[in-house]
Amino acid sequence: MFEVSQLSKFFWFTMSISYAFCFSALYTYSTIPEYTLELNNTAQINITMKLATVRLIIVATALFAYPIFLFRFFKYAKYFTVALTAWAVAIYIDDIFVLSEIIKYPESGLISSIQSFRPILIASLLWMSIELIFRPLTVD
Amino acid sequence: MKNKKTNDLGLSAILGNASDEDSNDKNYVVQSSTFKLIFSFINLYALILMALFFMVKGNLVEGINNNFLETGFSSVLNARAILLLLLLIFLNISAYFNYGFKYVCLILLAYMINSAIDNAVLFSGFLHLTDRPYLSAFNVTRPLFVIALFWVMIIHKDKDKSD
Repeated sequence: MFEVSQLSKFFWFTMSISYAFCFSALYTYSTIPEYTLELNNTAQINITMKLATVRLIIVATALFAYPIFLFRFFKYAKYFTVALTAWAVAIYIDDIFVLSEIIKYPESGLISSIQSFRPILIASLLWMSIELIFRPLTVD
Repeated sequence: MKNKKTNDLGLSAILGNASDEDSNDKNYVVQSSTFKLIFSFINLYALILMALFFMVKGNLVEGINNNFLETGFSSVLNARAILLLLLLIFLNISAYFNYGFKYVCLILLAYMINSAIDNAVLFSGFLHLTDRPYLSAFNVTRPLFVIALFWVMIIHKDKDKSD
């Protein structure tokens, strides 16, 4: 608990951004209107939604587990944050460079805005990782 | 005088007995033989996996499904193999300089698990075990690679004990 109190305000700000993004993504993908999927019922969109569902399950688990790591197992919080950052970067690189010809997101304003905010999530997670790794703790 | 002699003897005995277990006190860290063995396995596995990726891409491995490479899987294999090669290089560099090894291990671990999930979700429909037996063997044994990475991350000895 003592270690958590030493984290900077910017850490909590970036953590809030990350949580806001993840909750927005969960809300967006869970409330996609049925007609949007039916109109564009291509195999690419179906496979993308399948992949997005698996990823959202992991995101929901991480959202639940992160405060536990931060407040109860602070020593391991940096490893958990680095793993989440690596995963966020990996799926971003995958979507942009590797799977660009295979996956296709449904045409929706909310989805495209969520996709465009992904670099902000990555930047926030990167800052959280850097602060947890390099910030010296004064309380033993 | 006698006490000083005894203390010197004690100190020299302690220093003489300091083996690999106390190697954190030195400028370099001697890793255990288990670490070296698992690390060699990781390198060997990743190199064979990459070679196999490129062989599949070049259609050099015999298989049953001829449409296998026309499903977009070829470009995915290519990009994944290059990314894996880059991460493996970073892993070896961090192991050599003994700096940030655990973090690079975590990054590689996250990448491997993510690619396994992607493959399972996107290509499970047409990637049967009999399509490319050698490649399937590596896909099936991927958990072994993940376990090895996790193990090597745990038993790695850092310079800084606080890590």
